[in-house]
Amino acid sequence: MQLECQSCGARVELAPDQRTGRCVYCGSPQVLDRPPSPDRPNPTFALGFTVPPERALEVARRWVRRPLFAPQAFRKAKVDDIRGVYVPTYLYSAVARSGYSASIGENYTVTETYTTTDSKGRTVTRTRTKTKTEWRSLSGHHAVYVSDHVVTASRGLPNEELEAIEPFDLRALRRYGPKLVSGWVAEEPSYAPAECIQLARREAMAGIGRELHGFMPGDKHRNLQYSTEFDGEDLELTLLPVWVLPVRYDEEKPVVRLLVNGQTGKIFGKAPTSWLKVTFAVLLAIAVFAGAFIAFRELT
Amino acid sequence: MSGWEREASGTARMGASAWDDDRTKPGCGRCGSPLEPEDLRCAVCFLPVPAGQGGAARAVARILRCDGCGAALTYDVKVQAPKCAFCGSVARLEETEDPIEEADAYLPFRVDPATARQAVKSWLGSLGWFRPADLATEATVAELTPLWFVAWTFDVEALVSWAADSNAGAGRAAWAPHSGQVPMTVQAALVSASRGLEEEEVAKLAPHFDLSSAQEAPHEMEGAAIERFAVPRSAARRIIERAVMAQARSHAKQFIPGSRVRKLSAAVLPRRLRTRRYGFPSYVLAYRYREKLYRAIVHGQDARVAFGKAPWSVWKILLAVLGGVAGVAAIAGLIWLFASR
Repeated sequence: MQLECQSCGARVELAPDQRTGRCVYCGSPQVLDRPPSPDRPNPTFALGFTVPPERALEVARRWVRRPLFAPQAFRKAKVDDIRGVYVPTYLYSAVARSGYSASIGENYTVTETYTTTDSKGRTVTRTRTKTKTEWRSLSGHHAVYVSDHVVTASRGLPNEELEAIEPFDLRALRRYGPKLVSGWVAEEPSYAPAECIQLARREAMAGIGRELHGFMPGDKHRNLQYSTEFDGEDLELTLLPVWVLPVRYDEEKPVVRLLVNGQTGKIFGKAPTSWLKVTFAVLLAIAVFAGAFIAFRELT
Repeated sequence: MSGWEREASGTARMGASAWDDDRTKPGCGRCGSPLEPEDLRCAVCFLPVPAGQGGAARAVARILRCDGCGAALTYDVKVQAPKCAFCGSVARLEETEDPIEEADAYLPFRVDPATARQAVKSWLGSLGWFRPADLATEATVAELTPLWFVAWTFDVEALVSWAADSNAGAGRAAWAPHSGQVPMTVQAALVSASRGLEEEEVAKLAPHFDLSSAQEAPHEMEGAAIERFAVPRSAARRIIERAVMAQARSHAKQFIPGSRVRKLSAAVLPRRLRTRRYGFPSYVLAYRYREKLYRAIVHGQDARVAFGKAPWSVWKILLAVLGGVAGVAAIAGLIWLFASR
C-alpha cells in the first residue's frame, strides 16, 4: 500500500500485512489508519511491551545453549537479531451454557470374610474391609461466562506457538491507539473474525470441560459428556507484544525462530536436532548397558 | 426455558437501597452490570466497553507527534508508554485504572453517645444468671469511639448451577449425586472491608442499617473515626466475586435434597451486579469491670443492637455444676432406695 509521508511528503510503502512502517527518506515512524471492514477490524486493545530487548536477548541466548542434542553450531550461534512485533490476536468472551451427563462413583466399604493360613500353617478365617464404588448417573446444566481466550489472527504465528508463550496478563490491556505501536512492527490480521471464532470456541470448550471435571460430585467420575452453546459472543482484535529472534547457525539450514513473550519473557522455540549426537548417545548407552551386562555375568 | 425466564427467588439481606445513581451509569450490553468510567471491559462478563470514536474514512499514514516539541513519538519499553526521543515527554495511554476504593455514601448516626453507653449497660444486664450479678451496675465505660466502618453492598441477579452429594436417594453408598440450576436474587448484601471490626461483628450489625438514610458525606460527630477502603478496585472486585460465590453456594444448599451434603460445587452467571461503597455508623466501646477491660459494639442506628465480650461468674457456674451433681446423686439415691425395698 502506497501512502504519503505526512512529514516529508515522500511515498511510503506499507506491506499489506503491516500496520506500521517507516519513511525511507526521513525515517519518520508511520502508523496506518484505515477504515475497518468486517474481515479486517481495527484493533480494540493492545498490550504494551514490558520486557526490554536486552532481557529478551539474554533469555534467548540462555535458551539456545540449553538443548543437549542440538548441533554445536546452534548452541554457539550468535543471537543478536531481535524484532518487537505486535501480533494480531482475537480476544474471545461469551456466555457458555452447557448440558452434561456423567457417571458418578460413590465409594462404600464392605466387610469380607476370607480364609487364609497363619504363621503356623493352620487354615483360619479372617475379615477385611474393602472399598467398592457404586456408580450413579448424573445430568445437569452449567452456565458461566468464558473470557480471556486468545487465538491468533496472524498467519505468521500459528496458534500452538502463541499458546506456548501464553499467558499474557490481560489486566494490563490498553485501548488501542496508534501511539502504542508507533515505531514498532504491528501486523494486520490475516484471518477474519469468522475464521477464528471456531478456534476460540474450541479453546473455550476445552476450558469448560476442565471446569466440569472439577464440578462433578462423588469420589470419582467417568464418561463425562457435555455440549455447550455459546451466546453473546464477542471477538476483539487485540495486539500482543512478542519479541521475534531469528537464529542462523548454518547457511544450509533454515533459520530457527525464537519467540519471547514481550510481557513475561516466556520463550518458545524448536531447537534443531543433531543426529550425529543422538547416534553417539544411543551407541554410548548400548555400550554402557552391554558393559554392565558382561560385568554382571562375569561376577555371577 | 432459560434460567432468566424463571421466577426469581431471593434472599434479601438488608433494606433496599435508595442510593440509585448506579442506574444512571452506562450498563454492560451483555450482563447489564453498571460500568465505571475507566473500565475497558465489563468486570463481570468481560465484554469490551465501546470506545465511542469513529475510525478513519480512508487509509492514511499517520505520524504521532509529541505535544511538546512536534517530533515523532515511539513507544518506549522502559517507561511503557509512547515517549518523545527528543524532549523526553511521555504520552498517556487509555488503560484500565485501578484507583483505591472510596466510600460513595455514609449512613448517619441515629444513636447518640449517651444512648450508646446506656445500651451497653442494658445489654450487660440482659446477659443472664451466669454473669456476675453486679455486672451492669459496676461496669464503667472507659472509652467510646464513634466509628464509620467501611463495607461494600451488592445487588445481583444470578443463575446458579450446582452439583453435590447428599444422603437423599443414597443406595449402598452413603451418598448420591444431585444437580440443579436455580435463579438467585440478592439485594444489598454486605461485604465488610473494615479493619476495626471483625466479620462476625459486621454480620450482626448488617441487618439493622437503613440504607435509605445514606448521605454523600459523613456528618459532624465529635471524635469519630472514619475508616478508609484500603484496597484498589481490582482487589475489591475479587472480594465481591468471592462474596457472590459464597451467596450462590448458600442459596444452592436450600435446593439440595436430603439432610447431609458434601462436595458442593457451584457456578455463577451473574447479571446486573451493582456494587456500592458505604461508611456504616457504629460505636466501639471499652468497658471496665473489676480492673479488666472488655470490648463491646453498639449499632450506630439501632441502640437495641449491642454485643461484645463479657465476664462469666465462676462461682455461679461452679454452684450450678455442684447443684446438678447433687441433683443427679439425689435421684440415683432415691432410685437405689426404692429398688432395695
